[in-house]
Amino acid sequence: MSERSVSRQKQEKRWYTLMAPEQFDREELGETPADEPDKVLGRTIETTLGDLRNDASENNTKLTFKVNEVASDSAYTEFVKHELTRDYLRSLVRRGSSKIQAYITVLTTDDYRVQIQPVALTTKSADESQEKAIRRTMIDIVEESAQDRTYADLVDSVVEGRLSSAIYNEAKTIYPLRRVEIQKLTLEARPEEVAAEEETSVDVDEDEVAVDETAD
Amino acid sequence: MSETQEDKWGVAHVHASFNNTIITITDETGAETLAKSSGGTVVKQNRDEASPYAAMQMAEVVAEKAKAQGVEGVHVRVRGPGGNQQTNPGPGAQATIRALARAGLEIGRIEDVTPIPHDGTRGPKNAGF
Repeated sequence: MSERSVSRQKQEKRWYTLMAPEQFDREELGETPADEPDKVLGRTIETTLGDLRNDASENNTKLTFKVNEVASDSAYTEFVKHELTRDYLRSLVRRGSSKIQAYITVLTTDDYRVQIQPVALTTKSADESQEKAIRRTMIDIVEESAQDRTYADLVDSVVEGRLSSAIYNEAKTIYPLRRVEIQKLTLEARPEEVAAEEETSVDVDEDEVAVDETAD
Repeated sequence: MSETQEDKWGVAHVHASFNNTIITITDETGAETLAKSSGGTVVKQNRDEASPYAAMQMAEVVAEKAKAQGVEGVHVRVRGPGGNQQTNPGPGAQATIRALARAGLEIGRIEDVTPIPHDGTRGPKNAGF
């Protein structure tokens, strides 16, 4: 009895095809069932770069997409996250070598706020000062590259590995590096959210400055 | 039942602890559950809930239900209890994947999604093996 009612419920649900954003050639990502189109909004789907490009050698990168638009039978997604798989990252870490990480939040030219986490692995254990220098170059390069790139371009350069090889080429003169990767890229805020934040924050900022000046 | 012709994929979430195994098959977004089962549905004794045998039985049932809804293959996300407890999946994990494959579901990526603390509270004194 109960099983029958479940199956009837299932029948009412339609399967929506999830499409990748234009940047990734509108590839089909998968399917998801829902009884109302609105319920598809906000769902996330995770694939590997290898799946998307039909290239099994790039299965160490996970890409997460979020549904932001639903049409009759298909749902369109936007890119929200890029991440290395845990096992791959773990395989890179060795004893007696340093792992240098940085967390950088940048604003792209089209006002998306993005957090980027590069990671560099050295051949031998590096000194603190060398680690600091490498971290500095990582931060500089990431901030520089965000300044003249749109969100799509930035994501592209991360996914294609251009950003990590740029860091590698700069930082290898400081200390011999084994590998540089972008371990994570997350979308923090969209243009509208950034604008809304700015609107609310400006007043507070000015007030505080004024108070500080009188106090001094 | 819904259409059976297409080759849909799902995600099999396998929570394998040392006391139980919970299998949930969802769609690829993880938002809609297609089939689920846990140790208590197939064995009588509590201590058997985590056994590989129970996992096999559960996987068969779950695979059947999933296939009836047109799922051809699954990506597998295995997890142990994690957090402060042991990070290794329990005895049911490996048996589940095997049984799912034997039941005719294609197996895609297998991923370990055990929650790893980025530091938090101190663990119980006998944890961390």
